[in-house]
Amino acid sequence: MELDDLKVKWAQYDAKLEKSIRLNTRLLRESRLTRVDAALRPLSRWIVLETLLNVPAVLLLGSFLGDHIGEPRFAVPAALLLACAIAILNAGIRQWVALRALDYGAPILVVQKRLAALRVSRIRTTKWVLLLSPLLWAPLLIVGIQGLVGVDPYAFLDAKWLAANVLFGLVVLVVMLWISRRYLDRGKQSPGLQRLLDSIAGRSLASATGHLDEIARFEQEL
Amino acid sequence: MTTTPPQDRFLALLDEHRKILYKVANAYCRNAEDRRDLVQEIVVQLWRSLPRFDERARFSTWMYRIAMNVAISFYRSESRRTQRTELVEEPILETLAVDRAAPEESSDDIRQLHRFIGELDELNRALVILYLDGNSHETIGEILGISASNVGTRVGRIKERLRKDFDRVANR
Repeated sequence: MELDDLKVKWAQYDAKLEKSIRLNTRLLRESRLTRVDAALRPLSRWIVLETLLNVPAVLLLGSFLGDHIGEPRFAVPAALLLACAIAILNAGIRQWVALRALDYGAPILVVQKRLAALRVSRIRTTKWVLLLSPLLWAPLLIVGIQGLVGVDPYAFLDAKWLAANVLFGLVVLVVMLWISRRYLDRGKQSPGLQRLLDSIAGRSLASATGHLDEIARFEQEL
Repeated sequence: MTTTPPQDRFLALLDEHRKILYKVANAYCRNAEDRRDLVQEIVVQLWRSLPRFDERARFSTWMYRIAMNVAISFYRSESRRTQRTELVEEPILETLAVDRAAPEESSDDIRQLHRFIGELDELNRALVILYLDGNSHETIGEILGISASNVGTRVGRIKERLRKDFDRVANR
């Protein structure tokens, strides 16, 4: 059988559909259209929430850094945290803008490329947040104690304690990578945990970049 | 002079092209529940994108783009089951009991056709549906975002693959 024979079958199928399917206009008229969630809406809301939460963090850290700019013991951890918060905020704003500008009526390859790029960006952000969090909690503790409680953390936290915490962060990081790879294909965990493991291990990223490559190949003249 | 409300006009256009919804959903989803969800997502996205629709363009071309874009994203989404909210319980597209058209209830030829389409990747699947629906290479290229000559070459490859497929089945 040839593809053109299938075209004839398809035309018969088309004629059959004409008679056999009906649009439930009553359901759509009951203003369901505006109430029902489309797939990307939760993502858009999540990005907005993340971005909104990051704005006060950037402002507070910026203010703290400004107040302690002459004291490296506070300025360095604050600068580290601020750099991370700005990077996350920047990624969030870019993702939100990309999502808002997405026109589903554009050619399929254009839309799919943008969606895949957005996905790559989301996965990279998640991965870096997860990987850096064990290393950033010591600076967070220093800035938090000084900034929120007004107590000098160095009065009771010595250099050994700080070094031990950084080391502990590195160990946690290695363990996280090991766990994510070891349990990646077990498929027994919840979808949320699986997504986290996939993000840390780079599997989600590989899948998203693979889709981008697939689109690029499809675009190329054969 | 009275003007038709946007929702009425939208529903009339949607009704006129309802087969696109059905064909795309059938090509990208194997089970009935997913097909119903996908149809709903396509309709919502069509409605939300309507303000951007250029009246000079063909509605069917625009509808194919949106339907296929949503279907490919739906198909690829790993988390759609956990993200779904506010599901509509009733189906937007009703199949009349007298003459069912779902692939599992169709003739052998149509089933075979759907099996063949189902074996293709998402992008080639879109291309085949557009080709079978009688669109020109130019229109297919416009919908997909590739050149007409690229469409021609890809259709040629798919024809070749189909021929081999059928030969293999016939020789068994």
